Amino acid sequence: MLSRVAASFYWLSRYIERSDGILRMLKINYASSQDAVREFTWKPVIRIYSVADAELMSKLDNDSRAVLAYMVTDRINPNSILNMITLARENARSVQEHITRDLWQCLNEYYHCVKDPDVTERLLHDDPISVLDNLNKQIMLYYGTAEVSMERGQGRSFMNIGKFLERSIQAIDLLDIKFGSVNNNPDLLTDTTYWKHLLQSIGGYELYLKTYRDGIEAESVMELVMLNTDFPRSVIYSVNNIGRYYERLKKESNLSNYRDIAFQMGKLQSSIQYSSTQSIGQMGLHQFLTQIKKDLYGIGNLLNEHYFANS
Amino acid sequence: MYQSAHFSEYHAIQGVWDEMYNENHHVREHYQRVIAYLSKESADNLNKKEELARRLFMTQGITFTVYNSGEGIEKIFPFDIIPRIITGEEWKLVENGIKQRLTALNLFLRDVYHNQFIIKDGIIPIDVIYSCPHFLREMYQLDVPHDIYVHIAGIDLIRDEKGDFFVLEDNLRTPSGVSYMLENREITKRLFPDLLPQCNVRSVTDYPNILYKNLMALSPRQISNPTVVLLSPGIYNSAYFEHTTLARLMGVELVEGRDLVVSNHKVYMKTTTGLQQVDVIYRRVDDEFLDPLVFNPASVLGVAGIMSAYRKGNVAIVNAIGNGVADDKAIYSYVPEMIRYYLNEEPLLKNVPTYQLRNADEREYTFANINSMVVKKTNESGGYGMLMGHAASEQETEDYKKEILKDPRNFIAQPTIALSAAPCYLQGSLQPRRIDLRPYALCGPDGIEIVPGGLTRVALKEGSLVVNSSQGGGSKDTWVLD
Repeated sequence: MLSRVAASFYWLSRYIERSDGILRMLKINYASSQDAVREFTWKPVIRIYSVADAELMSKLDNDSRAVLAYMVTDRINPNSILNMITLARENARSVQEHITRDLWQCLNEYYHCVKDPDVTERLLHDDPISVLDNLNKQIMLYYGTAEVSMERGQGRSFMNIGKFLERSIQAIDLLDIKFGSVNNNPDLLTDTTYWKHLLQSIGGYELYLKTYRDGIEAESVMELVMLNTDFPRSVIYSVNNIGRYYERLKKESNLSNYRDIAFQMGKLQSSIQYSSTQSIGQMGLHQFLTQIKKDLYGIGNLLNEHYFANS
Repeated sequence: MYQSAHFSEYHAIQGVWDEMYNENHHVREHYQRVIAYLSKESADNLNKKEELARRLFMTQGITFTVYNSGEGIEKIFPFDIIPRIITGEEWKLVENGIKQRLTALNLFLRDVYHNQFIIKDGIIPIDVIYSCPHFLREMYQLDVPHDIYVHIAGIDLIRDEKGDFFVLEDNLRTPSGVSYMLENREITKRLFPDLLPQCNVRSVTDYPNILYKNLMALSPRQISNPTVVLLSPGIYNSAYFEHTTLARLMGVELVEGRDLVVSNHKVYMKTTTGLQQVDVIYRRVDDEFLDPLVFNPASVLGVAGIMSAYRKGNVAIVNAIGNGVADDKAIYSYVPEMIRYYLNEEPLLKNVPTYQLRNADEREYTFANINSMVVKKTNESGGYGMLMGHAASEQETEDYKKEILKDPRNFIAQPTIALSAAPCYLQGSLQPRRIDLRPYALCGPDGIEIVPGGLTRVALKEGSLVVNSSQGGGSKDTWVLD
């Protein structure tokens, strides 16, 4: 497979996954902003997903509708859903003969859906949740179509590596920011709605309730998002899947390059696998997350070098 | 006669060959089946079919993108649902004529880049050739596989008021539009079920297979599975859809310049497993941008060093580099002479009479009769840089004359030929519109093959004679009957 094609697959997926994460996040945060008017702040969301400066940030902070428009249809914000789907589509266009027609049409539809000028209008003046739900459905459609129609070859492996890399980075960022805020405001540690929102925004609330019977506690939340192998958005699940799809590339890889990344993969996987809430607590959550994120970026860079010919 | 409302209003244009009606206003035999089929359909139904065609083009992404203020606007190439029909007999002439012409043009290119007998024998003046910007000294004495320079030709044909075919121009560099020939046929299958087999229309679907077979045969390495790639300028090129279509239909890799690298006079593509040698490149990048080391140094679409690999014979490039000298409009008028010179045959297809404006007397004649002339630049295509004498204002004509006098070599003039007209379904009725025809000829080591069909372009504006898509042209499915 051409290096450029592999890179396009990888980035196509990263953009889609990121837009998925943002949409979920926006929906839950908007819902919770309706719950608690006074204490609610959009800052963590804006900080994870955009490059807004302090001025813009303070302007947006208390205006949920403006945040939504900024995050979904703004043309200047590079991480707006609109800009991301545009980039995803450009990547798909350049590998059009490698993806199925169904998948291409699905992506096309999503693109036209976000581009509809009605979207901004409805975000600002109508029920935003139905808009976000609608967009989210497009992504699920995309994932379903990819699942049933894409050939099980290298292209799909690169797509899934991109998807899970992006997903693990998002989970790490979320934990880091949410737990970081606790340092400034210790009351949050025992604020159950705070943790409930975190769980909801990455879709883990129901699983949490089934897993932990004695109420919501920060440490358990961290354990679920970090270490639960059954939770499809947990860090460990995502990292294991990167490893799994990477392994499939073996027979079509240059062996020394393959080993180089396989070594880093193994190291990363075991550093998460052989961690517990205690050991993470000893090391300090922020340190631990920073290290894992660094390793993930390292793997991204190695892929760039060995497979995408961008060294 | 057929008396459906949308047919009774059809009035053939006076003094123009009509593809459907003969001089007595009767439907020609080869159109009768189609007209019978169509007249059973209500206008409402035909409108629905037109809408269906538009939707099929859009959802299948058969579009070209116009970039405007950073945002891509997708447009479809307008498609007219009524097919253009060519009889088996007419096709025979077209096919033989193009084969003859292409054979001569290939011999000409081989000659002009080697011994130049045609110049020495005084058939073509030396200055016409050496003043052509597409005559590349880099190609001098370079042997190309099987002596084939033009592997893919798109030769544009028109018909005059008597129905005779004329060659309007030769496209021997990177002729485009073949994907529309293929897609238009697919759309017609959806629009008019069962009509194609009823009419005995010959199939065009073989095109990608023939092309792929020819490309494989050019591989410099004698191996069972040579690597063939299609080199595209990338997603921002207006013909990108065509590039992906052809790559998919042939099952070859679509590459961009940045995917290729030259090492030790061999071309490689960068893959996830390392470098893989490339044997044959079907390029859709112009000569000028192909190698920044040899041609335009600012080009990022090409591959540095590719020319050296070509020179060494380590890679085959399709079409060959430097073909522009053969489809230059100043050379065009010498093609009938070429056919006589190289093949000792009379040309089967006529040329449109052409005046070389570098000759003072021909220039004077042109200026005196400019209202019945079309003046063209010798090295522009796509309908740009033209003066249509009958339609231009006095001021435009005067300005154009001044420009001609600055560099007369760059201009030719031809009498305005009244392109033939074919029925189009427009705003609910059949109306005659002017058309041309571009069949696609493929030249390989086994000879020349032309799939029976081609791209019929149509000037959708009433009274217009310009069929180029950039100037309001559309296309039709083109049927050749068995």
